[in-house]
Amino acid sequence: MVQELLRCENIKKVYHTKLGLQSYTALNDVNFSLAAGEFVAVMGPSGSGKTTLLNILASLDQPTSGNVLLEGQNFRDIPEKDLAQFRRDNLGFVFQDFNLLDTFSLKDNILLPLVLSQTPVKEMERRLQPVAAMLHIEDLLTKYPYEVSGGEKQRAAVARAVITEPKIILADEPTGALDSKSSTNLLQIFRALNESGKTILMVTHSSMAASYAKRVLFIKDGAIYSQIYRGEEDNHAFFERIVNNITVLSNGGVDIG
Amino acid sequence: MAKAFYLKLAVANIKRSREIYIPHFLATAIISGVFFLICGLVSSDGLTNLPSGVTAQTIFSAGIFLFAVFSVIFMLYINGFLMKRRKREFGLYGVLGLSKRHIGRMLVWENVLVLGLGVVCGIAAALIFGKLLFLLLLRAIHTAPNSEFIIGPEAYLMTLGLFVLVFVVTSVINLVRVHISNPIQLLYSEKKGDKDSRFIVPRAVVGIICLGVAYFFALTIDIPATAIGVFLLLAVLVIIATNALFVAGSIVVLRLLRKRKKLYYKPKNFIAISGMFQRMKQNASGLAVICILSTMLIITVATTTSLYLGQEEQLRASYPFDVEIWLYPDADQEISSQTLVAIDRDLAEAAAGCGASLSADLEGKSGPAAEEIANGSTYDYELLEHSVVRMNMVLMFDIEGSDEAYQEFLEQIPDVMTPHGISFSYSDIESIRVDAYAFSGGLLFLGVFFGILFLVITILVIYFKQITEGYEDKERFAILQKVGMNDTQVKETINRQILWVFFLPLLVAVCHTVAASKIICVMLQGFELYNSTLVLGCIGITCAIFAVIYLIVFRLTAKVYYRIVKW
Repeated sequence: MVQELLRCENIKKVYHTKLGLQSYTALNDVNFSLAAGEFVAVMGPSGSGKTTLLNILASLDQPTSGNVLLEGQNFRDIPEKDLAQFRRDNLGFVFQDFNLLDTFSLKDNILLPLVLSQTPVKEMERRLQPVAAMLHIEDLLTKYPYEVSGGEKQRAAVARAVITEPKIILADEPTGALDSKSSTNLLQIFRALNESGKTILMVTHSSMAASYAKRVLFIKDGAIYSQIYRGEEDNHAFFERIVNNITVLSNGGVDIG
Repeated sequence: MAKAFYLKLAVANIKRSREIYIPHFLATAIISGVFFLICGLVSSDGLTNLPSGVTAQTIFSAGIFLFAVFSVIFMLYINGFLMKRRKREFGLYGVLGLSKRHIGRMLVWENVLVLGLGVVCGIAAALIFGKLLFLLLLRAIHTAPNSEFIIGPEAYLMTLGLFVLVFVVTSVINLVRVHISNPIQLLYSEKKGDKDSRFIVPRAVVGIICLGVAYFFALTIDIPATAIGVFLLLAVLVIIATNALFVAGSIVVLRLLRKRKKLYYKPKNFIAISGMFQRMKQNASGLAVICILSTMLIITVATTTSLYLGQEEQLRASYPFDVEIWLYPDADQEISSQTLVAIDRDLAEAAAGCGASLSADLEGKSGPAAEEIANGSTYDYELLEHSVVRMNMVLMFDIEGSDEAYQEFLEQIPDVMTPHGISFSYSDIESIRVDAYAFSGGLLFLGVFFGILFLVITILVIYFKQITEGYEDKERFAILQKVGMNDTQVKETINRQILWVFFLPLLVAVCHTVAASKIICVMLQGFELYNSTLVLGCIGITCAIFAVIYLIVFRLTAKVYYRIVKW
C-alpha cells in the first residue's frame, strides 16, 4: 500500500458578496487523496473551481468547511503566523506567470525560499548545484528574469519550487504562458521529477499537459466529476482518453461511457 | 459631437486616476499661485515705494527667473511620471481601435483640464492669500509706509505665459511619445526590466572626487571674498557629486554588500538589498533631486534668516555709533584741535537744544570697528570733551533722547557743521537701518518663499515616488507572500526599505549642510555678519524644522504607499 500524503475531506468553498446577500459556491464537497510519488493533473473548464481548489491546497485560502490534511496534519490546526513557514517547508509552487522577482538574478530567485528559512550559505549552494543541473539552467544563474525566455523562467521557477525539497509540488497552469516546445520540455522535467520520487499536483487546461500525469481528476461545477488513471498507456493513448473524457464532461454528463 | 466625446473621455480618465491627478492639480495650483504672487509683488508699485524697494525688486526678479525654470522642469517631471504610468492604457486604446490622433486629442484635453483648473485655482488662492502675504512682507521689511497690495496685469500675463509654455511643451512631448510608439510596445512597456547602467565605477569615483574637493574647500576657505566667489562653483560640484553618488555610488556599495554572501543571504538583507538595487537603478536621480532641493532649502532659509536676525549686530559692527560725520579737509587744510573742540561743543549744544544728549560709551560695543577704536590700533583716536569720538577724520557719537529729538538733531547737523568750513558727509544709523532691513527683509522673504517652493516640490516629488514605487512593489510583495513570506516579514521589509530610501536624501542633505556651514559663516562675514553662533544656530534650527516637516510628509505619503501595496 502506498503511503497517503494529502487528503481532502468534504471541501466546500462558498464566496459571499460584501453584504452577504449573494453567495456563490465555488467548491462543493470535494474529496480525494494523493499518495506519495503521484503525478496528478486536475482538469476542468473555466470557473469549475480548479484555482480555488489549488489555493486551498496551498493554504493560501481557507475552505468554508471540510479539511485538508498533509501527512495527517490538518491545515486548520496550523496557527496563522506559522502558515508561511509551513508553506515554505512543505509545499513548492509553480505558477502560470512564473512569479519571479525582477530584482533578483535567477540564482537568487531560486534561493529565495531557502534564504527565508535562514539556511546557511554553504547548504544553499550545495543544494543549488544538482537542481540547476537537472533543470539545465546552470549557465543562466547570473541572468535576470527579464533577460531569459519564458521556458527558462519557468524552469527557474520549478527550481525554486523543488529546492526546498517540498513534500508536494503544486503547479497552477505551468504551461499556460509557454510555447509548445517549452511546454513539452517543462512537462518532461515534471515527469523526470516525478520519477525521482516527487509528488506533483498540476492544475491545467491543456489535455497535452495532463497526458504527462499518471492520473487526471476532472472537476466540474465545484465537484470531482470523474478521474482516469494512465495505467500502462503511452502519452498518446492517454491523451485520447483525456480528450474523450472532456467531451463527456462538456456534454453535461448525459453520455457516460 | 466628436469633440465632446474626447472631452468626456478626458474627464473620465482624470476621475479614474484621481490618486495621481490630484497631486498634479495641486502642484499646478501651488506653483502657479506662488509664481503669480511673486510676479505681482515685483511688478507692484507698492514695492517700489518701499525704502530700497528697487533693491528688493532686483533680487525678486532674479528669483522669478529661477522659479520659472524650476516650475517648468518640475511640471515636466510630473508629466513624464503620469505618462509612464499610463503607457499601457494607451496601448490598450490603440488595440481597441483608437487612433494615435484620437489618443493625442484626448491627452491634450486632459492637459487643458488639469493645467487650466490648476492655474485658475492657484490664482484665485493667490489673490485671497496674497493680501495676507503682502502684509507679512511689509513686516519682514521692517517698515510700514503707505504700500498697497495691487497686482498688475503683468502678473496674470506672466503666469499665463509660463503655464502656456508648460502646456505646449508637455503636450508636444506626449504627442510625440504616443506617435513614435506602437500599441504592443506600449502594452508591455511597463514590464521592461532595467539593465545595469554603464560606467558605474568611474561615475562613483568622479562623485567621490567632486564631493571631496567641494568639502575640502568648503571647510578650508576662510576669506569671505574667496568664499563668495567660489560658493556657486562648489554648489555645482556638490550637485554633480550627489547625483553621481546616488546613481552610481549606491550601486557600487550594494554590489559590494551583495558579494558578502553571509550578509546578503539573510532574509531581511536579501530582500532589502535587492529592493534597493531596483530603487536605485530607477529612482536614484529622483532621490538626488530630493536631496539637492532639501540642501538648497535648508541653506537658503538658514542664510537669509541669519542675515535678518543678525542685521542689528551687523549694523552695529559697521556703525558702532549712531551718527558718523566724515570730514574731508582740503589738501592744504589743517584741522586744528581747536576746530575739533569747537565742533564737539557745537554738536553737544545743538543736541541739548533738541532735548537730546551725546554719548560715546565704548562699553557694550562689539565688531571690528569698535575694537579698532578701543585698541587705538593704527588709527589716530581720541575722545573729545563732549562725548564725541574722533577716529582719524571721522567723528562718531551716540544720541540719547526721544525719537523726535533724534530726528530734529539730525536735521541740524548740516547747520552745525557748515560754519566750520570743512567739507563733510554724515550718516545715521536709523536711515541705514531702514535700508538694511529693506534688503535683508527682502532677502528673508525671498528665502522663505523659495524655501516654501522647494518644500512643496520636495513633498510632491516624495509623493509621486511613493505612488510609483507602491505600484511596482505591489506585485513583488504578492509574489514574496506566495513564496512563503509571512505578513510580518513583508511589513518589516517594506518599512526597512522605505526608511532607507526616504531618509537617505535627508541624511545626505544634512551632511552637505554641515559641511557647508563653515563656508556659509565665512561668506556671511563678507556681509559684515560675524556672529558664527547665530549662523550655526539658524542652520541647526532650520535643519531640525525641515527634518520634522520631512518626517510628517513621509508619514502621510507612506500611508498612500501602504494603501497601494496592500493586497
